[in-house]
Amino acid sequence: MHALLDPCSLAPSSIIPLPPTVFVRPIVKTASQSMNFSFIKRKNTKPSLPFSHARLASFLLPYAHNRPNDSVSGDTDDMFDGLLDKYGKVVYRRNDRKTPSAEADDDAESLSFAVALAKVASEVKAADIRVLFVKPLVYWTRFFIIATAFSRPQIDAIGSKIRDLAEKQYRKVPSGDTKPNSWTVLDFGDVVVHIFLPQQRAFYNLEEFYGNATPVELPFDNQSSFRS
Amino acid sequence: MIQPQTHLNVADNSGARELMCIRIIGASNRRYAHIGDVIVAVIKEAVPNMPLEKSEVIRAVIVRTCKELKRDNGMIIRYDDNAAVVIDQEGNPKGTRVFGAIARELRQLNFIKIVSLAPEVL
Repeated sequence: MHALLDPCSLAPSSIIPLPPTVFVRPIVKTASQSMNFSFIKRKNTKPSLPFSHARLASFLLPYAHNRPNDSVSGDTDDMFDGLLDKYGKVVYRRNDRKTPSAEADDDAESLSFAVALAKVASEVKAADIRVLFVKPLVYWTRFFIIATAFSRPQIDAIGSKIRDLAEKQYRKVPSGDTKPNSWTVLDFGDVVVHIFLPQQRAFYNLEEFYGNATPVELPFDNQSSFRS
Repeated sequence: MIQPQTHLNVADNSGARELMCIRIIGASNRRYAHIGDVIVAVIKEAVPNMPLEKSEVIRAVIVRTCKELKRDNGMIIRYDDNAAVVIDQEGNPKGTRVFGAIARELRQLNFIKIVSLAPEVL
């Protein structure tokens, strides 16, 4: 779907950087060719001409109304038609953009996935689990899960449990660390799981960095004071 | 295009200020490193009273290069400086925050930790 450009609704600042061919589109429909030509010529020679809305409209409209059937030079007509065919669709909306409802559905799906992963982590006694909705802050993911484990074997256990669940129920394979690390990351695309040792968690302080993210309420008991 | 002897800025708060590349990790005879490559570097300048000191040998990931980075969709990204983030042997960053904009290619190259500490991802 390409958006139709209405010259009267364009802000003057946005008119100037556009190529003239983009600008042609509405004028071809509303006005005659000779006027078109002079207008565009003027645009080309003085691109920084300060057009205001009112002036632009008053400039366009009399021509459009007074000389509707001007039959000057058919070849410019063809030229503009050709240009329109070639470049007329420069301004268009991206086709892959989702509707808001589809986006909300995606969010809900990721949320349920994130909560399921957090639940698995809590079953393996990960402490202080936080699920953060970071989509408004970063474009590259939707949810962060931050959890603390107290030893490397425990990190390994949490990581492998989460991998199993994601692979069996959600058919997702994480990228990220394969070996247990003091800061282990599992990247599922929409959900990123961070498992820290307590020291590293305090050192990197990821919650503070993403302090503006909205925390998600978890449906189970979160043992934040576990062995602390 | 980072090669041995190239000086790089440090894009984190690890305490190093300037690095010099001395080796590129990867193939044995590799000439240049680009964004997302790991290099061995020596610290040429350091902030006082920080854990990292001058003339220490460390590993670092390149996050910005003056040489253009091309994407499949035709986008080209070029930064004003060459910059790297200091990491340890396990791949964890030595600093706690990354400064400046970094490229999203780092996520595909498994540097998610650096990406999640960065303020802006291009």
